[in-house]
Amino acid sequence: MMARPLLRWASFTSLHTSSRLPFVLLPRTLNPRAPSLAFSAAASNYLHLSDDQLMAQCDMDTYKASGPGGQHRNKRESAVRLSHRPTGIVAQAVEERSQHKNRAMALTRLRTLLALKVRKAIDLDGYAPPSELLQILPAKSTIRGKDVGPQIGPNNPKFALGMQALLDLIFAVEGSVSETAKILGYIVYGSFLLSTGALSRLILSDDSLRVTVNELRTSKGMRPLR
Amino acid sequence: MTLRFPFTVRSPLPPVFASSLHRCLSIPSPSSSSSPTPLPSSDRRPPLFLRPPTFAASRSDLHDFRRWAESLALAAGPRISASDGGPDAALLRREIAWLVEDATVAAASESGVGEELRLRVELEELYRLWRARIEERRPFQYIVGCEHWRDLVLVVKEGVLIPRPETEMVVDLVAEVEGFEKGLWADLGTGSGAIAVGIGRMLQEGGRVFATDLSPVALEVARLNVERYELKDKIELRRGSWFEPLRDVEGKLTGLVSNPPYIPSSHVPGLQAEVGQHEPKLALDGGEEGMDHLLHLCEGSASALKSGGFFAFETNGDEQSEFIADLMSIKFGNFFHNIKLIPDFAGIQRFVTGFRR
Ligand SMILES: C[S@@+](CC[C@H](N)C(=O)[O-])C[C@H]1O[C@@H](n2cnc3c(N)ncnc32)[C@H](O)[C@@H]1O
Repeated sequence: MMARPLLRWASFTSLHTSSRLPFVLLPRTLNPRAPSLAFSAAASNYLHLSDDQLMAQCDMDTYKASGPGGQHRNKRESAVRLSHRPTGIVAQAVEERSQHKNRAMALTRLRTLLALKVRKAIDLDGYAPPSELLQILPAKSTIRGKDVGPQIGPNNPKFALGMQALLDLIFAVEGSVSETAKILGYIVYGSFLLSTGALSRLILSDDSLRVTVNELRTSKGMRPLR
Repeated sequence: MTLRFPFTVRSPLPPVFASSLHRCLSIPSPSSSSSPTPLPSSDRRPPLFLRPPTFAASRSDLHDFRRWAESLALAAGPRISASDGGPDAALLRREIAWLVEDATVAAASESGVGEELRLRVELEELYRLWRARIEERRPFQYIVGCEHWRDLVLVVKEGVLIPRPETEMVVDLVAEVEGFEKGLWADLGTGSGAIAVGIGRMLQEGGRVFATDLSPVALEVARLNVERYELKDKIELRRGSWFEPLRDVEGKLTGLVSNPPYIPSSHVPGLQAEVGQHEPKLALDGGEEGMDHLLHLCEGSASALKSGGFFAFETNGDEQSEFIADLMSIKFGNFFHNIKLIPDFAGIQRFVTGFRR
């Protein structure tokens, strides 16, 4: 099987980049044969897969320069592109110095994208926030309880899981941050212990999370968070 | 054999590495580096990332360097990639980031950490290095003295082939062989030792790799990499041509891997400058059809491997792989079975694998 031509690397400009955000390619239109992304039941499970299991759901290829590669080339691109077959989501990495590491980086980005793009339906009546979500809530918030441990920030690989659960909830209340804060506060402690401000700050602390929430809010006619 | 890498050991290695380097290398007194004598020729010096950070520069100095280096990259990239398929501007700009990464101590992009940066090389030298990269097309990996390959950082220098990303997969092919962990392996034409180190790190008690090469420079570099990864008890380096240094283990090998020179001689003059003008011909030139060494390896494998033994060869791709696969399954079909072609990640049939009957 030949590799399909990839995107143009030329658009790459930043030399120092956060590991979580850039260089992800989203398909304009999602894979038409793939199950609908909206509220897919299996969807939330992708993030629980091990790296090997997730890789098994992906096609991997590298940038195919013309010519035979191998010994002919100095540093033929070690860039890696992963296409996640079930969702059509594509993640890639070019900036690492070995193919092996670019693959690991692309996989991390894929996890973030899955968290951002794949939504799970939530039944608000019986809703209980999963522990992954509690772990990313602000440290001062008394909601979190003692057994949750210290707050996990955007640089922790587990952040994606919490972010996914938070987005599931925010989508279920159609983008309202105050409503989300209320539900989280109310359900966990029977009172409103998570302020809208604190939740907004959490959302703003991660670029990809902020962008996703603001896209939703804009589509619902709400003011973007700033 | 004596090592000719006068490494200073005050390096960012984990303490275990550093101490093993201490044991294995004779270390020149560090004060000699402060003398005003001209710098030793580049291939005598340790890789950039292992040098002590004895120089300093301001952030704005480094910023200026980057701006200058990028302007060179942007100006030269299109011409270079159009002329012989060399690096384009985007790849050159990534190399600048990697160069700065290896030459500085802290992440240079962090702001507000103070104005001074510690460097492992003089600022002027950094300019000279990048100029050589662009003007002489000196491979980036020889400039920094290392290549990142799999999760390894391998020392390289002029005289040894820079391991290619495609070859990373050979280690994965070995890892799929049942019982490989305790086996006897051979990496023929080990070069920097990349494949041998990759395999060596996965081996368990009793497992061993014989890594051979004809080139003394390659063996010297391989020895450094073996020592850096503390694999002296797993990897044995031997000098000689292909099977010649392995007579004592004939018929005993669990597996045999090789990435032999496979470029057809007629292609060598047209190679991109980084390869054709800087890497050793001994590592590239595979004779008229590019298959001289591959054929020799095919012929020798039957007696080198034990029954059930595994082989994996890297080739120039598609046609060579098919030829080798046919040879192994038809002409040598009495000896081998389960012959497979394995594509690299660009979709080129890059590897041939199989088993000794
Ligand atoms: C393409 S390089 C591969 C190096 C390394 N295995 C890698 O993959 O990066 C081929 C190697 O074969 C070595 N070589 C060439 N002729 C040889 C011979 N007759 N016997 C043993 N090694 C040889 C070269 O010195 C070179 O290191």
